[in-house]
Amino acid sequence: MISPFAPSSSQPGHGKILLSLLPPSIPILQTCSYQYPLKLIAPHALTINNHIIYTVFLLTYGGGLVAGDALNLSIHLDPNTRLVLLTQGSTKIFKTPSRELVSRQYTRLFVDQGAGLCYIPDPVQPFKDSCFEQVQIFEVPEGGSICICDWVCQGRTARGENWHFYKYTSKNEVYLTDKETGKRRLLLRDNVLLEDGTTNDPLSYANRIDSLGVFGTLILRGPLFEKLGKYFMAEFAILPRIGARNWDGDVDDETDLVDVKRKRRQRQETKDGLLWTAASMRGFVLVKFGAKEVEGVKRWLGVMLRTEGSVETLFGEGSLLCLK
Amino acid sequence: MTDPSPEQQAALKQEIALLEQKLKHAKAQLNDAVQEEEAVAPLLYHTSNELPHNTTSTLPTHSLHTLLLLSDSALPLGSFAFSSGLESFLAHEKVKVASSGNTANPSQLSSFHIFLKVSLQSLASAALPYVLAAYREPSRIEEWDNDFDASAICTVARRASVAQGRALLSVWERSFRDHHTLTSSSTSTDAISFLASFSTSLKSSSHNAYPPNAHLAPLWGILTLILSIPLHSSAYLFLFSHARTVISAAVRASVLGPYQAQHVLASTELRDLMKGLVERYWDRRTEDAGQTVPAVDLWVGRHELLYSRIFNS
Repeated sequence: MISPFAPSSSQPGHGKILLSLLPPSIPILQTCSYQYPLKLIAPHALTINNHIIYTVFLLTYGGGLVAGDALNLSIHLDPNTRLVLLTQGSTKIFKTPSRELVSRQYTRLFVDQGAGLCYIPDPVQPFKDSCFEQVQIFEVPEGGSICICDWVCQGRTARGENWHFYKYTSKNEVYLTDKETGKRRLLLRDNVLLEDGTTNDPLSYANRIDSLGVFGTLILRGPLFEKLGKYFMAEFAILPRIGARNWDGDVDDETDLVDVKRKRRQRQETKDGLLWTAASMRGFVLVKFGAKEVEGVKRWLGVMLRTEGSVETLFGEGSLLCLK
Repeated sequence: MTDPSPEQQAALKQEIALLEQKLKHAKAQLNDAVQEEEAVAPLLYHTSNELPHNTTSTLPTHSLHTLLLLSDSALPLGSFAFSSGLESFLAHEKVKVASSGNTANPSQLSSFHIFLKVSLQSLASAALPYVLAAYREPSRIEEWDNDFDASAICTVARRASVAQGRALLSVWERSFRDHHTLTSSSTSTDAISFLASFSTSLKSSSHNAYPPNAHLAPLWGILTLILSIPLHSSAYLFLFSHARTVISAAVRASVLGPYQAQHVLASTELRDLMKGLVERYWDRRTEDAGQTVPAVDLWVGRHELLYSRIFNS
């Protein structure tokens, strides 16, 4: 039996954000469309240091994805536009009836030269027996800037969940297209795969994450985040050595405020079981981090980003909302 | 009974096409597996006491010879300098134990056993697909090298991979090449020319924004192809060399004694693990290679923060 109705043109879970530039230099949110179960909310644009900043909240009905949900998001930033992407609370991944029924989030992003994207969401929270796949593909010409945080936590700790999902995979790829040859080059592929674990053998997910409760990656690229990237590299280089004796005790030089703040942050890192590492490669600064709890990461990343200051100066305080 | 409508017919045809495609794929896989089995069986499972007369039933002597050369820990790749995160892992364990104050903590030895497994798992998912890809499609060696470079997101691991990859290339150019240019097959000759042009661009492209790097995994793949080592053996040896290096590092870090080390290396448990990993990642495309052990990135990356170090990674 054939349906007498024309096929629907709206596809569930699809969304599109187009930030374009009206001549001479006025950015406008030209498109912000979405279909259930995805929801996009765009509050009024803010003007920060003479730049118009757009903010879009990525939401889903029920605060997460149920098995079989598929989000398909396309985001385009014209030259010299700026966008902040946020979430409202962690993205829950609900239990699936079978391993084959996966929740998916697929996002394509184009960040043109001079444009800047700041995407620091809440973590993904996969429940016990859930399946989630995320793919984020960025096309960033030289001069485009991105600050992307992608992180995940162990589940509902109150229910004793400790990386008890079936599957969680998250892939971030950044491409650059050569203007002359038209050839597309892979600049970065950060692919985390937790897909075939059991709960009790030496290869359990909890063991593979060194018994931490949360981990993630921060990806920085482009002129807007160059200073921030250098800051992470410099702070990493002067972290306290592992296995060193502390001969002078905890005596701070109280005249040096920067140093006092740094020591305080480092002590908090130890308390929160926070481990991080930074690498500078192929025009990126990549920061990998893990901690016992989500709050620990929020504290640490919040202090790092606010102390350095670029993100708030460029995108406003609201851009760090998810770290509150 | 009525005839099926055109739509149903179309759907059936589509289903038939799909099933035929599946059948074809399954047959191809079986074929691959059988070929591999034939190539590898004499080497790994040959149990007869008689000297095999039929030369096709055993690995050609020159392949066996090169396999032994590559598995020798004296192969000058400098692998002894790398612990692949073991040293950092042990230091982090120590801190954890000290801060937890728990007296019933697992011994260094039992945490080493976990480390060895997760380390192999991590290497198999992140690097093995590139070994396989470079062996199967050596003409794309620059692309495999670039993509591996894009995926190696940790300074210390990159350094280790490039140092060993370049050393492997030197071993080929200085020691092996003279013996292979004349005797080899046409696939091997092609691969030799791809490797030669890769080597040239490696030495000449300092002005390039994203120059070739010569990572170990893709170079291992193309070189074992040139040396006519069967793909399965190449993949297995890649994992084996890693296990041997990590275990040897553990001996030098005083986690294991030399006999214990051989005991671990010889165990069926390790053998089964590596065999299983080769099978699991046999058909994995490089696009889907990735880190299955996130903690490895933290341990290896933080190796630079160790107060005292005996290894480079």
